[in-house]
Amino acid sequence: MMHNRKGVFRVARRECGRFASSPIYPLLMVVFPLLSFGVLWATFQQQVPRHLPVAVCDLDRSMLSRSVARMIDATPTMDVAFQVEGPAAGEKLLREGKAYAFVLMPHGMERDAKRGTGAEVVGYYNAQWLLPGSLINRDLRKVIGTVSAALELRARQLRGEMYAAARAHLEPIRVDSHVLFNPQLNYLYFLLTTLLPTMLQIFILLVATHSIGVELKEGSAGEWLEAAGHSVWRALVGKLLPYTVHFFVLGLFMNSLLFRYLGVPERGSILVIGVGTVLFVLAYQAMGIALVALTANLRLTTSLVAFYSGASFAFTGVTFPTMAMPATARVWGELLPLTHYLRLLIQQAIRGAPYEVSIPALLALLAFIVLAPLVSLRRMGRLLEEPGYWGRT
Amino acid sequence: MKKVFLVWWREYRSILADPGALLILFGAVVIYSIVYPIPYSPEVLKEVPVGVVDLDRSALSRRLIRMVDANEYVRVAFRETQLARAETEVLAGKAGGILLVPEGFQRKILRGEQADVGVFADAGYLLVYRQVYTGLLHATRTLSAGIEIRRRRAGGMAEGQALASRDPLALIARPLFNPATGYATYVVPAVLLLILQQTLLIGIGLLGGTERETSGIPPVSDPGRDRPAVLQVLLGKTAAYLALYLVYSCYYFGILYRVYRFPQRAEAGTVLLFVLPFLISVILLGLALSALFHHRESAMQALLFTSIPAIFLSGFAWPPEAIPGWLRILSYLLPSTAGISGFLRVNQMGASLSEVRFEWLILWGLCVLYSGLAWFSLARSTPVGETRDPNGA
Repeated sequence: MMHNRKGVFRVARRECGRFASSPIYPLLMVVFPLLSFGVLWATFQQQVPRHLPVAVCDLDRSMLSRSVARMIDATPTMDVAFQVEGPAAGEKLLREGKAYAFVLMPHGMERDAKRGTGAEVVGYYNAQWLLPGSLINRDLRKVIGTVSAALELRARQLRGEMYAAARAHLEPIRVDSHVLFNPQLNYLYFLLTTLLPTMLQIFILLVATHSIGVELKEGSAGEWLEAAGHSVWRALVGKLLPYTVHFFVLGLFMNSLLFRYLGVPERGSILVIGVGTVLFVLAYQAMGIALVALTANLRLTTSLVAFYSGASFAFTGVTFPTMAMPATARVWGELLPLTHYLRLLIQQAIRGAPYEVSIPALLALLAFIVLAPLVSLRRMGRLLEEPGYWGRT
Repeated sequence: MKKVFLVWWREYRSILADPGALLILFGAVVIYSIVYPIPYSPEVLKEVPVGVVDLDRSALSRRLIRMVDANEYVRVAFRETQLARAETEVLAGKAGGILLVPEGFQRKILRGEQADVGVFADAGYLLVYRQVYTGLLHATRTLSAGIEIRRRRAGGMAEGQALASRDPLALIARPLFNPATGYATYVVPAVLLLILQQTLLIGIGLLGGTERETSGIPPVSDPGRDRPAVLQVLLGKTAAYLALYLVYSCYYFGILYRVYRFPQRAEAGTVLLFVLPFLISVILLGLALSALFHHRESAMQALLFTSIPAIFLSGFAWPPEAIPGWLRILSYLLPSTAGISGFLRVNQMGASLSEVRFEWLILWGLCVLYSGLAWFSLARSTPVGETRDPNGA
């Protein structure tokens, strides 16, 4: 037992000595992760998009149309940046990227609205920019709904109805809406909580595959195995241990950045998140072992890493939800540790679920840690022992 | 001129001779274009499961629940008798929201009072939130409007008049350019452009790293007077990648667009004119960066993480107005920023070249900037004396 531990620590010490050997280590472990965290944080600093420019085409030029324009301008989402003469000019502004929507108020709008003969406002919004489009659509609905209700309330009061009765008639069923779990509908909370771990997994996997693959490429695998007392698993554990510690610390830094500094709600168990973060790091290191074993070639392994981690965000179901995906995409998503870790973060941090809810996610991460090395350990042993596998590019 | 063609031809030979380069510059371009759209292929999220807590158990509450189940946004997945139990189901991810019908719902309506219903939508996943909220609101409003119109008709109004006077000012929302507000239509076109950029940068960097790694001999140093000058190398290589990627552009924007049925409003000529400076600036950036890579795998390791920040800086998913000014300016150094924004407007919205002139000029500006850097980078790795080639370009 004593001997075993020595082997692991000897390899770990050897690994720490290798950090200085290539700029790739400081870059992939510190510089790029922090740079990407910083850029993403700065990008979403505003939390919810505000002051999106829209154009108004007011053909009615009435009290009502002017007050609708003022109310649109007063929403936090929209700024009336342009007044245009007709729909063609409005659409041109959309194509030029200067405005996200234009609101058309036709001739006779005020007159029709007051007579109750069906007046309309047309809101054209650019649905190719999905997020601004949906925010604008929602707020336009609110503005016009408010105006319409006020008009009708006044009409009813003029007819002599009492205010309360008028309100009840106006809207027989009132919707009392509650936002569960992310009441501010804050995009920074949602996007940073999911994107920072997405960045992190890229670096964990790249460093794991590089540190193993480079020994094969440079033919130093024999020396490495020697240091581990000719035990493959000790060689792997010792080698990856320093990176496990490093990325766990980086993961905790990421969590404290999110939950302490940026104020992302952390309603659930900090312990579950902590355990999840360790398992997340280990799961990607385990996948790193499997990917190197699969190809025995650092460059090919890196191509696989690019495919496995680079395109993973789309499959995790945080943007387009898992339940709506075709089965192939759903299965692929389940084969990514990231999917399970993000599920855990959303459950624990944003929703504040009890810890039992996150047990399946923890078990899934554990499965990667156990299964990936298990299936690749024998082949890994051959790769480290037979010089015929070394030096491949 | 002959030497330019020679460099051009040689570049293809080295790509074809290198399975690693082939995997990036051909394999990834094709594979990503097929795999990436899979999760988004259903385009719209429909029939999100919701839970119902019906405390009223009346004919009217059952009618409301039927209407919820009938609309396309949501479907009723389960019924609970307590709100807390339903919330547990949402936490476990079994439903995206809850409709609560309180006791006394029908009685209040029959008495002409205002009744409430509770809508609880899970904002842990924002797209799910939107669908649930819209679906439940829609069903409730429809029922509410039906009740009110019936009351008015009972008061002696004609149906059309009852309809119009109920909502004196209505909003007609018209989504432009992505009329079905499809998710694939929103994400995939931008990502296709990013795939072109990232595979070019990584592929060029991989070949550069290989040349530096395998021999230490710089890329263009065929001994003797046949050596091409830096300018000839620059032109030859740029032409080689440009020709290749114009073919890919035809595949992406000519064939894939039809396969995926994305709206396309542009003239082929305008698309070509816009894609041209985008591809050239990416190629020159790739040549400039390639001097930094000393190993075959370095380019992939260093550039893999840039995809996600690049996509969110390009302004298609997160509005550029919401990005801090300094970051916005810096982000224009990535060809994808001006490239994606301009391209989407040309191809999806039918903008003319003059309507995207800002982005077009930025891309040409980047071509000038990066051609200088690429020159510097190629000259550094080319032995002295080459630029004095008497034959010239």
